[in-house]
Amino acid sequence: MRKNQTLGEYLQSQGVSRRGFLKFCSATASLMALPPSAVAQVAEALAKARRPSVIWLSFQECTGCTESLTRSHAPTVESLIFDAISLDYHHTLQAAAGHGAEAAREAAMEENEGEYILVVDGSIPVGNKAYSTIAGISNYDMLVEAASKAYAIVAVGTCAAFGGIPHANPNPTGAVSVSDIITDKPIINVSGCPPIPVVITGVLAHFLTFGTIPELDALGRPAAFFGQNIHDRCYRRPFYERGQFAETFDDEGARKGWCLYKLGCKGPTTYNACATLKWNEGTSFPIQSGHGCIGCSEPDFWDKGGFYSPISAGMWGSRDALLGAAAAGAALGIGSAIAARARKKKAQAAEEA
Amino acid sequence: MSSLDAIPVNAEVATGNVEPLLHEIRHALKRLANGEDGTVIDLQRLPLAPGEEQRIETALGEGEVRAEINALGPTLVQETAYPGVWLITHRNAEESVIARFVEVTDIPELLKSQRADIESGINKLESELADSAKNN
Amino acid sequence: MTLLEFASGPGLQWALWIFVFGVVWRLVGALFLLSRKDLTKPRQYNSVAAGFGAIISRSTPAHAFEKRIVFQHVTGYVWHFALFISVLFFAPHILFFESVLGFGWPHMPNTIIMVTAIIATAVLVALLIRRATHPVQRFISNADDYISIFVVLIPLITGILAFAHVGARYETLLAIHLLSVEIMLIWFPFGKLMHAIMTMPARYQAGTAFGRRGVKA
Repeated sequence: MRKNQTLGEYLQSQGVSRRGFLKFCSATASLMALPPSAVAQVAEALAKARRPSVIWLSFQECTGCTESLTRSHAPTVESLIFDAISLDYHHTLQAAAGHGAEAAREAAMEENEGEYILVVDGSIPVGNKAYSTIAGISNYDMLVEAASKAYAIVAVGTCAAFGGIPHANPNPTGAVSVSDIITDKPIINVSGCPPIPVVITGVLAHFLTFGTIPELDALGRPAAFFGQNIHDRCYRRPFYERGQFAETFDDEGARKGWCLYKLGCKGPTTYNACATLKWNEGTSFPIQSGHGCIGCSEPDFWDKGGFYSPISAGMWGSRDALLGAAAAGAALGIGSAIAARARKKKAQAAEEA
Repeated sequence: MSSLDAIPVNAEVATGNVEPLLHEIRHALKRLANGEDGTVIDLQRLPLAPGEEQRIETALGEGEVRAEINALGPTLVQETAYPGVWLITHRNAEESVIARFVEVTDIPELLKSQRADIESGINKLESELADSAKNN
Repeated sequence: MTLLEFASGPGLQWALWIFVFGVVWRLVGALFLLSRKDLTKPRQYNSVAAGFGAIISRSTPAHAFEKRIVFQHVTGYVWHFALFISVLFFAPHILFFESVLGFGWPHMPNTIIMVTAIIATAVLVALLIRRATHPVQRFISNADDYISIFVVLIPLITGILAFAHVGARYETLLAIHLLSVEIMLIWFPFGKLMHAIMTMPARYQAGTAFGRRGVKA
């Protein structure tokens, strides 16, 4: 794979016809949430695009994000985009291991200094940096070194974007997100547990096509995919409006596909593309399959009050504490009544005297 | 598995996006008939409830032309019952759908032979003829 | 901690504590201030009937005034009904009450709730303007009156905005709505909002006291 090839030349060398290339561009534009009128522009840009070097570092993660992305063996649009980038290091996917692999990573970083894309999945433990290491190098040190020479960083998955599962209460490893450590490079957070595969490739495709970072929301996520909350795009919204809720997972309402708000759906406070793009090439998404959204693309979703507790029940604690407050109030009430009576008696006595 | 199959699924939901889409196609057809440019609608951008995509396909129906393209996986180009309205379904080599479009046009761009491919075809034909001339 | 996490977590916890503590304090304090047992001989009367009779009779204006205060009478009832329906029969609210009380109750469709919430807000704004401009009302109104109105008006407005997803991101709107409710809960035991708890017991007490002397309250 010659790195000074353009993407157009690379595809041609792989035997992809112009017609195939146009199909590839239509699908790529669609997954980038661009209108069909942009396909010509995408085709022109992709034909001339240079193949960027990508270094993928996996830290404290479950590998779900890589799994989400690499489901197929045959060429797909996703895998072509993947091939179109020059993936110079990915310790789960690559065949090489050991010192040779690490040396290859360092060489790629040197050669493409200031230009490569650093993709990170998994959180970084800072409680004790030895909790997660690769080739004896702590995640923290590897991230800092790799980030210093990168063009931009893509934090794939909620772990890298916000800390994710390891960050959940009580966070025994002191896990933090990429943006907690790196503050001087542009970071694109592609959150989700895992993210929808086309969202990951959409970000890479955007970079391939335009050479820039897509528009980001307040949490650093690409606005094209994370700009709407699930509730506003959910096909069960009419049931919410009519007040038709499933009360349990197997009752009449659940069978009729009614709203899952009472069963803890976090759709109103979750931003992701699940309701429109769906999963497994548009097959379904959790709500369509009958389970409420767990909010997996949001920070601290594990600590947001429980997956089956409705949003409006809040996270305010236990009823027993309120009984304690009532007892204290009753005590104060009785005490102040007794004090008032004593004052009254005293005043009456003073008057009679 | 049998107990799962026994659970009936009868979600009667609708986003209400089917009729507006058909109207959009109607407007696009009128523009096409007037001599203006064609229109492409990306079906994956629309929120659709389960079953609504099927309803759109049924509403559009099947016309006289059905073309299969084999480039990076199969692509089906079907003219619908309404001439000028084409339904294009792109699949990858694993037969998973990667994009769906409704194109309102005389003939979808993808069905035409592309200039770059024609030129590489000319080169290929010339070298084939040169080879067979050499061998004679 | 995000704003929403604070508003639905510690903020709500503290507000509920202060609310329960304050309301029980005032209620128990008032009950314990009632006079000792009266040793005089009562007229023939049923104290429970007299008490409830007073609750009913005092729910409408005194005959001498009823034609002069039709506006306050009607708007008062309209506002309270609209508020109760919006607060008590909106499904997400019922889930909140269920988390506090341990039980819930049936809900009404969201469109009805939206209508009643808008009616409640509009009527409250109209009454607030009247209070501030009508010479007599203005003269007798104090800070307690205005604060009590505002701490109820802001949750109504922010609730409507949050439901309609208008003005900011949903989590921000929801957090602001929760915080405004928390402010109301904290103010509740210390101002005129306590009338919500005190009115019926006070009418009952007046009914039984008057009834003992053979007088209809």
